[in-house]
Amino acid sequence: MRRLAACLILPLLLLARPAAADLIYVLNSGDSSISVLDAITREELRRIPALREVHHLVLAPGGRELLIADSGGNEIFFVDPASGEVRRRERISNPYHLDFSPDGRHLVIASLRRNQVDIYDAQGPTLLTRLRTPDKPSHMAFRPDGKVVYVTLQGSGTVIAVSLETREVLWEAPIGREPAGIVWHRGRLIVGIMGSDHFAVLNPETREVERQIPVGRGAHTIFAAPDGKALWATSRVQSRIAEIDPTTLEVRRIFDIPGGPDCIAFDPDGRLWATLRWAGRIARIDTRTGEYETIRVGRSPHGIFVQPRRAEN
Amino acid sequence: MIESFNRILDSVTGWIFEVLVQPAMYELGLMDWADDAIDWIEFGLFGIFSILVVYAVCRPLEAWRPVEPVTDRGAIRTDIVYTLLTRLGLLPLIAFVLLASLQAWWEGTVADSGFVPPTLENLIPGLREAPILAFFLYVVVLDFGEYWRHRFQHRFGWWWALHSIHHAQRQMTFWTDDRNHILDEIIGALWFGVIALLIGVPPGQFPLLVLITRLAESLSHANVRLSFGRIGERLVVSPRFHRLHHGILSTADHGKNYAVLFPVWDWIFGTADFRRDVFPRTGDPEAPEALATGGWLRQQFVGLKRMAGAIAGRSGT
Repeated sequence: MRRLAACLILPLLLLARPAAADLIYVLNSGDSSISVLDAITREELRRIPALREVHHLVLAPGGRELLIADSGGNEIFFVDPASGEVRRRERISNPYHLDFSPDGRHLVIASLRRNQVDIYDAQGPTLLTRLRTPDKPSHMAFRPDGKVVYVTLQGSGTVIAVSLETREVLWEAPIGREPAGIVWHRGRLIVGIMGSDHFAVLNPETREVERQIPVGRGAHTIFAAPDGKALWATSRVQSRIAEIDPTTLEVRRIFDIPGGPDCIAFDPDGRLWATLRWAGRIARIDTRTGEYETIRVGRSPHGIFVQPRRAEN
Repeated sequence: MIESFNRILDSVTGWIFEVLVQPAMYELGLMDWADDAIDWIEFGLFGIFSILVVYAVCRPLEAWRPVEPVTDRGAIRTDIVYTLLTRLGLLPLIAFVLLASLQAWWEGTVADSGFVPPTLENLIPGLREAPILAFFLYVVVLDFGEYWRHRFQHRFGWWWALHSIHHAQRQMTFWTDDRNHILDEIIGALWFGVIALLIGVPPGQFPLLVLITRLAESLSHANVRLSFGRIGERLVVSPRFHRLHHGILSTADHGKNYAVLFPVWDWIFGTADFRRDVFPRTGDPEAPEALATGGWLRQQFVGLKRMAGAIAGRSGT
């Protein structure tokens, strides 16, 4: 009887066991390391040594590899996002910001300190073209058809459009002082104007700034929530995270979060995980209430990524 | 301990940047230099801390067993100016601003050639998992490079004209370590840049270890009758070992003991002098008086003039 009861209860116990926590990857640019955190306990599970200066990361199409760019170390790590295991490394010239084109054919890498934008065949990656650009190519966004990439030039206050078909610069348009983050949104480009207090909305057809979205001094990066219900933007000087309505582009709410919020990642519950660049911490923000807690990581944390794992159990 | 040190340095740097520097940079339209600014704040803070540590260690030693009495405080004050300009980051910052575009061009040119500069960790993969060991290996290789740069400073007349500023000090103390001509410092940075092209730059996450190497370099100039013993003298450059290099009979290209941190290079290349009881007077008898007792600006000017003369063949070494 007791054995029978155990057999009946066992499946229930298995169902009730704690789910595997999401993994949070944080690139500590000042520490040459990558912190991997447990999203539930907020404890650091491991620290992956990098070579010199890790800033940005991107998930490969298909989600099987996480590419982590070490600009100072001239290297990209290919990491298994589920385990944190480093699968391979590729020697790449000064990779700062990077992203795959929506069609998955190209990997584009901006080199902030070498004034170059490299277009790679994503399969290799094999370098197809290196473009010399004006000062400080910083962040990038793609046109949804994957034929054009737009890159902010921090030093020259412009955005360039680069054709991925001809691999030539199509145009360059002034946008504002020290542009940083950029996102494609419903036919427009929204660009963080770091030397000012707003995001600029650029029409890529007319190359004109149509409007400004004030968020606070030092407007920096912007990310679309996975459910499409909001855009989240950071300002590093005024130290804010702003929620923007994706339809009206009006600011709905502003959270004041000291420490210089920089990059943002989203977990499956809609929480934000943001790096606090000047505080050596990340913030975990409940978007419903605006409450947040901070977690110590390495020095000058920059790129951040959430690997959901609950669905696996 | 390294972790705690880093955390404190990081917290103070972050606070200064966020509260004081970043708002000013925003107003001045300099936000694209924000990441560099935080590095420079850390450089300056680290400089202040390293000066305090060096002072706390070296000054009591100098008071305890001085090699010679202090007779020229003015000359020491000039060395203090050198130290403050160098370690608080003012001169390196000016060089950075002037050379940032040149560096971007140079690195871009190297990239265009298809050459991707390696790191020691690329060459020796096992070092990836042992960053502290990697750091020490960098220190050893860079020290080897410094040994040869130092040899060349003494070997070539034009270079000696600059470097003799360092040797002209007759009242050598731990402050003397940074007594160098600006142009000599720039050449040193280029020298470092070439080595970095071959092996990469050292990992930057160990300020505490950098502090120890700086302390060793300053201590080697201290006015203290201190030898590290028969074995220690062969492991790390001591005040005795380096004072012999600064001796008045050891100037220009007939010098000994060129090593900066590890005497092994002098040992290997036959330039070592391990006599443990010799503490000579320092200075360069052939240098103009301005190099010994002049102010910072005058020494810079005279150094340049002498270098031009050496290139024009008006003087030898």
